[in-house]
Amino acid sequence: MTTSKKIILSILALVLLVILYGWTTYNSLVVMKEATTMQWQQVETQYQRRVDLIPNLVAAAQGVMKQETAVFTALADARAHYAGATTQNDKVAAANQVESAFGRLLAVVENYPTLKSSEAVQSLMVENAGTENRIAVERQRYNTDVQAYEVAIKRFPRSVIASMFGFSDITYFQSDAGADKAPQVKF
Amino acid sequence: MRTYILTIIAALTLPASVFAYTSPGKPVGLVNDFAKVLSNEDSITLGTKLLELNKTTGIELVVVTVPSLGDETNETYAVKLFEEWGIGASKTASQKTGALRDGGILILVAPNDKEARIEVGYGLEGTITDTQANAVVQKVMIPAFKTGNYSQGIDDAVDALSGLIAGDPSTTANYSQSGAQSNSSSEKSSPFAYFFFVVIAFNILVKVLGKTKSWWLGGVLGATAGAVIGFIWGFFYLGIGAVVILTILGLIFDFIVSKHPPRDGGGGGFWPIFFGGGGSGSGFGGGGFGGFGGGGSGGGGASGRW
Repeated sequence: MTTSKKIILSILALVLLVILYGWTTYNSLVVMKEATTMQWQQVETQYQRRVDLIPNLVAAAQGVMKQETAVFTALADARAHYAGATTQNDKVAAANQVESAFGRLLAVVENYPTLKSSEAVQSLMVENAGTENRIAVERQRYNTDVQAYEVAIKRFPRSVIASMFGFSDITYFQSDAGADKAPQVKF
Repeated sequence: MRTYILTIIAALTLPASVFAYTSPGKPVGLVNDFAKVLSNEDSITLGTKLLELNKTTGIELVVVTVPSLGDETNETYAVKLFEEWGIGASKTASQKTGALRDGGILILVAPNDKEARIEVGYGLEGTITDTQANAVVQKVMIPAFKTGNYSQGIDDAVDALSGLIAGDPSTTANYSQSGAQSNSSSEKSSPFAYFFFVVIAFNILVKVLGKTKSWWLGGVLGATAGAVIGFIWGFFYLGIGAVVILTILGLIFDFIVSKHPPRDGGGGGFWPIFFGGGGSGSGFGGGGFGGFGGGGSGGGGASGRW
């Protein structure tokens, strides 16, 4: 083999390696991006679970709490809002609204001892607490996935491939500033 | 020196989530009494019961007592421990054995923090609802734990959960109402097993390919391996990619080892870092417990404090 042939072969091999690198990197980024999408679906599933609790809680409480119309209106609004939300941001906002309306109802229930000790309301409170916990778990996993993806697209040399193929940032989930506080009770 | 290297490897291969909380350690079986609140006899009886449940239903019901939850709440601790140990069958494990996917339950008791939790795996969320889990915690566990009778509380909880899993009508009726008020992989077959396998295979390759002076054999081996991989996964592009990459790697590898052939008899010559003759066998401690199936949970279940 002559020297020039060797050089050409080496260059070819190098180009091949670069292409292969780009190929595998692209695929791994696709996988990571999909993982965040799937994990977000998990979060939404749990949001939906809480929205679905509303009719039951309303049915259990409405008879006794007829005068608390504001609370029930807020719940109905929040539920409708969630059903109409399409983008991720809208859904988060609506889910936070559901959360606070729910919290208000539970706080008001405190004023009705017989209602509060009723089996139906007890069960619903347990289910609500369980849903809260599930949402927290899935959100946290979503953020972990987003973090893995963000590190991947920002770190050199993957960042070159990422920008070439337009892998854009995915936003972390940030809970609403007031969402983790106990809801205010207003009469 | 060897321990030192192993420690570094162990630190590198541990999943990142482990560092977020303090793991109680590796599972020793279905009963893990890290807080030492169960007598030996009770542990064995309980373990037998759990093993029986596992044999008949394929469900992994695991009992863990911990001396401290650290900075975590019992909810976050349970989710992380569940994830770390992979309780219940993973997707592949479930396809292989027919066990319920993510069919795991963790009973976590922290006697010093006075907190307990039943964490229900994804696969059992429909079988054991939060309300039922809550009823088990409130009616059975907390009253016994209040008097310090941990083995009784855990044993009764296991019976109740087994009844719910089996769909026993009287148990279901008993625990379908909440007692009082309260709150709610990933594949990980041991990385060490793979690691030792790779090291041994590597050493064999070094010996065989190093003996031949030529360096095309490595390329042929690489191409074959690539074709096999493509065939197994039935994925055309992956197969081509694997063939190309492994051919190149094989050529380079054979080229290097042929230039630096290993000396005969022990010592790996050019590759001292990879533990000489490849004789290092069994990686991890002689315990009989093989670990869990790699299942997951998503915060289902219920907690209680006393």
